[in-house]
Order: sequence, then C-alpha cells, then structure tokens
Amino acid sequence: MTDISAQTEPLGGLLTRDRIVKWAPVLVLVALVLLFPFFEFLEDLLEGKDHFYLLDSRFFSIRNAARIGIAAAPALMVAVGVTFIIIMGSIDLSMEGTISVCAVLFAFAFLGWGGTLASWAWLAIPTALLVGALLGFVNGLIHVRLKIPSFMASLAMGFVGTGFALVLTGGDRLRVEDELFRSLLTVRWLNFPIMCYVALAFLLLAWFIQSHTALGRNFYAVGGGEQLAQSSGLNVARVRVMGFTLAGIFFAVGALLAVGRIGIAETATGNNFMFVSITAVVVGGTALWGGIGGVWNTLVGVLIVNVINNGMVVIGLPSYVQDGVLGTLVILAVALSTNRKSVTFVK
Amino acid sequence: MNLERIKPHFPWLTLLALVCVVGAANPAFFDPLGLLSLVTDVVPLFIMALGMTFAIYIGGIDLSAQQVANMVTVVATVYLSQFGIGVAVICILAGFVFGAVSGYVTTRLYVPSFVSTLAMGFVALSAAKYLSGQRALSMDVTERNTSFGWMFDSTVGVPHQLAIAAALLAFAWFLQTRTSFGRALKAVGSGELAAVASGLNVDRVKILAFAISGAFAGIAGLLFSVKLSGGDANLANGFLLLAIVAVLVGGTPLTGGVGGVLNTAIGTLIVMVIRAAMVYLEISATQQQMVFGVVLIVAIALTIDRSKLSGVVK
Repeated sequence: MTDISAQTEPLGGLLTRDRIVKWAPVLVLVALVLLFPFFEFLEDLLEGKDHFYLLDSRFFSIRNAARIGIAAAPALMVAVGVTFIIIMGSIDLSMEGTISVCAVLFAFAFLGWGGTLASWAWLAIPTALLVGALLGFVNGLIHVRLKIPSFMASLAMGFVGTGFALVLTGGDRLRVEDELFRSLLTVRWLNFPIMCYVALAFLLLAWFIQSHTALGRNFYAVGGGEQLAQSSGLNVARVRVMGFTLAGIFFAVGALLAVGRIGIAETATGNNFMFVSITAVVVGGTALWGGIGGVWNTLVGVLIVNVINNGMVVIGLPSYVQDGVLGTLVILAVALSTNRKSVTFVK
Repeated sequence: MNLERIKPHFPWLTLLALVCVVGAANPAFFDPLGLLSLVTDVVPLFIMALGMTFAIYIGGIDLSAQQVANMVTVVATVYLSQFGIGVAVICILAGFVFGAVSGYVTTRLYVPSFVSTLAMGFVALSAAKYLSGQRALSMDVTERNTSFGWMFDSTVGVPHQLAIAAALLAFAWFLQTRTSFGRALKAVGSGELAAVASGLNVDRVKILAFAISGAFAGIAGLLFSVKLSGGDANLANGFLLLAIVAVLVGGTPLTGGVGGVLNTAIGTLIVMVIRAAMVYLEISATQQQMVFGVVLIVAIALTIDRSKLSGVVK
C-alpha cells in the first residue's frame, strides 16, 4: 500500500525510482508554488520595479491561498470520491450528472422546506447526500450486475443525470441565498472560509475510511488484483457497489460546496468537474490501474491543478490555455506512472 | 433459433419495429419529403458516428470526437476566406492529426483510450478557444455559398449532403471489408493478443483507426459549420452521446470485433427515428439526453461480448 501519510522518512534517503515517483507530485506542487512568483518577479524586474521574490508576490499570499482553497474545495470532494473508484482500478465519469442532480434537488428541498438552515430546511443536506449515495449505488449496480465497463456505465449515467437535472429545472437557476448556508463562503476563520474546513474534515473522513476500515483495505485488495481478492473470499461485486455509493456521497458533498460557493444551483453546476477531478487524481499519483495511491495523493493533485489554474491567471496567461495544459498533464501523468512491464495491452 | 443467431439481426429489426410504431402513431412520418429532410439533418451525426465506429471496432473509444468537431467548426470559419474550398483539406487533416496523436498516446504511452481521447479533447478545446478568441464566429455568406453552396443543392431529388454521406459510407465500408487494413482492424478487435502474436503491427493499426475517427469527426465539424454558417468552441456539443449511441445500437459492441460501418448506418437511423418520435410525443430537447443515456446503457448491456472481458470488468 502506498500512502504518503505512511511514509515518514524524509526525501534525503536513497533516491530509488519508486521513491521519486511517489514524491514527484509533491515536488511538482512545491516547484509550481515557487515558479509562479518567479514569473511575477521577472515581470517587475523588466519594468524596473523593486520586488522581493516571495514577499511581494500576488500569487504567494494568504489572500490568494484562500482563493485557491475556495476554488479547490468542491473539486477536492469530487476527486476524493473518484479516488476510491480509481484505487479499485475502475473509473467513475458520472460526477457531472450526479453533482447537478444533487445540487438541484438540494436547492428544491432547501427552498421548499423553509429556505434557511435555521428551519427544517437543514434536512435538505442529508437529503442531497442520500441522493448522491443512491445515484452512486445505481451506477455501481449497472456496472457490476450488467457487467458493463465502469467508464461506459458511469459515462452513460452521467448523461442521464445531466438530462434529469435539466428536466427538474427546465433550464432555470435556483438561488440559494440563505445567509447561514452561504456562510460556507462568507465566514472566514484564519483567512480561510468555512468551506475549506468542511472539505478538510471530509478529507480526514475519507482518509479514515481508506486506511482504518475494512472497506478501505478492500478497495486496495480489489485494485491490487481482483481475481486474487475474489478467490480469497472477498465479495468483489459488493465492494465495488459500495465504492460507487461512497463516491456518490462525496460527489454530493462537492455539489453542496459548489452551491455554497456561488449561491446558485443549476444543471451547469456539475460542468467541468469530470475532467478536473480525474486530472487531479492521476496527477496526484494514484495509478489508473488501481491499487496505488490514496486521498492524500488526491489532495496534492487537486492543489497542483488549482495552483496551475490560478497561477496562470495571476501571471496573465489567457484562460483558454488551461484546458490544453490540463489535457497534456493527464497524458503525462498517466504515461509516467505506468509500469510498462506489467501492462500487456491497452484498449 | 437461439439468441446468438438472431442477435446480428437485432439492429435492423429494431429499426423496422420503431418505424412501424412511430408510423402507426403518426402517419405523417411517412411523408417522403419529411423523411428526406429528417435523414438529411442527421448527416453530420452519421459521419461522426462512422468515424467513432473505427475506434470502437478495435475495442477502444473516442471521447474527443465532439471537441475535434468543435475545433474544426472554428478552423473552417477562420480559414474559409483564405483557402476557399481548400479549407476542407485543412479540416480533415486537423482531425486526422488529433486522432493520430490520441492513438499514439494510447498505444505507445499506454494511456487507456477513454483517458487519452478525453485529454486530447481538452487540447482541442483549448485550440478552438484560442482560434476563435472565445467568441462565436460566423462565415461570410458569399464566401460560404461560393465554396460550399453546392452542398445544399440536390440532383434528381437526392440532396448532395446525402450523397456525401453515402460516399463516405462506401469509403468506410471499402476500408473495412476490402483492404488488408480492414482485416487487421477485425483481428485487433477480435483478440488483440492473438493479433500481436501473429505478427501484426497492432500499434500502427490502432493509431490509424483513431486517426480515421478524428478525420471523420473533422468532416462532421466542417459540415456543421457550413450548415450553421459559423464556428464556435461549443457548436457540436451534445453529439458525442448520440454518436456513441448510434454505433452501439447499430450492433458494434463496446468490446469491438463485430458490427461495423453498415451497422452504424442503421444505428444512426434508429437514433433519428427515436428523436422524431420524441418530437412527436413532445418530449423536449432537454429531456432527450436522459432518454438516450438509458438507451445507451441498454444497448451496451445487450451487445457487449462478456467472454472477452475475461471475468474481470473494470
């Protein structure tokens, strides 16, 4: 099991290939954090202004860190959800649909039951989580029972979800303006809004599930070698369905944070989450083949993706470059993390 | 009379049944002119699905088709005034190159095709946004009519768009059944390891299959932009799902090896009839995606060859 948290010795030891591969995501993150201020430094240098490298950086500031945190929190939840699936060697591409449905149903329930967290409307939050779990459960059943490869089963479910969200809203936007709920974004502790801490709490929960529960160990067992896991008595089908259900719950948390961030629930709430979360997971070092990686890798991956997005804006690169950069990054990350000796062929 | 024997006949039987049901409910469906315009409308989708068939036939998938088509609408619009009808060559080449890169990444860098094409799709999106300056562009009407106006004419009642579709289908069918490349595709789709063991250059076949998929997506994009007289990084959105559905309901399973381009022609017609039925039943465009998502799941479940998944479905 590779888990960054389990690795306590510093980098200084033996520089084996495994260790480099394992720590590469963290190194990339640190390099990026130092790189963007360097561009700012160069820019000011050329204009003849005084600039102390990190101190004067607009990128390397608490304000900007909070901005990255806000952008990253919902994506982190989605990426953590799909991490469990990827550890099993499957993939879940349904998140855009699931997030939209969860966000829209949450908003309907929340507005219908009182419109403020101080009333019974708080029940909309568990409702949304339940909806996420249900969608994930159905997704898992379709994958396992109908024996459809997970990328296609979940892609189709994603289309169904987005379509369903459209049917529910008829294309309208639902505004969630309750101050108590919006305090996810508006109230800050130590410069960071509450949603960052909520995301952190769920990350710890995910870490607990991953490393301190039988379910978490089973994810690794399935990903490490499904036939072996099966023949040693593990009910692989059940583990898979539970994995997809768990992922659905995390997608729902992501949906709630996304609604909290902009105060609007609509069909487009789920847009872009698929690619960003998959990118984050593989860039963080969780292998698409399963069995390797974990939620801490995903945290690093989400930060890398968001630091790149944010840093490119800060140094003035046009936003359209981001999609291409992320696309290239995914290919590089998957290609570099693949152990070619163990792969016979790729579809 | 077992299930496996009639399975290959499912697609056209489904089509026949659907046509009968829709026709019975709404006799106006059989109006020849109406039918002709329905079939003509579905041509760009058909071309995209035709390309997608090659990717699925070898057991892969091309999730970049929609973004490549999007990018090509922008390319066509931007370069139309400069190159006239020659812009078609650029569009097809652009699609071909994107597909080839996806194929290269899949085979040589060992990235599964659903990830590599997804990623290349975002690269294409970037290119489209860059070229278009993130605006919706429109073509100069006179330039469009001089270069591509002929597409909208018809000869003895056959719209030229349909003729293009038929020519491409004939070309794809020829590739698939009458060339050694076509036999190689079949070999790779039926059993990749066996194909490798028998000395076939599997990587080259696969790269070419993805490149063809990209080129057809490019042609589809060109047709879109000429039809709508413009280009935009989102113009072809919504067509990826329909293209995959068309291939799969046509009877080319996700596991590859059987089916082929004629199946996709039937599959596209099935999609067309379902769409027509939904319009008749007043199911709005927004709800159609849901319906097609479910159709997709059913189609995969019915066609997929589980013996090829070697017991493990990831």
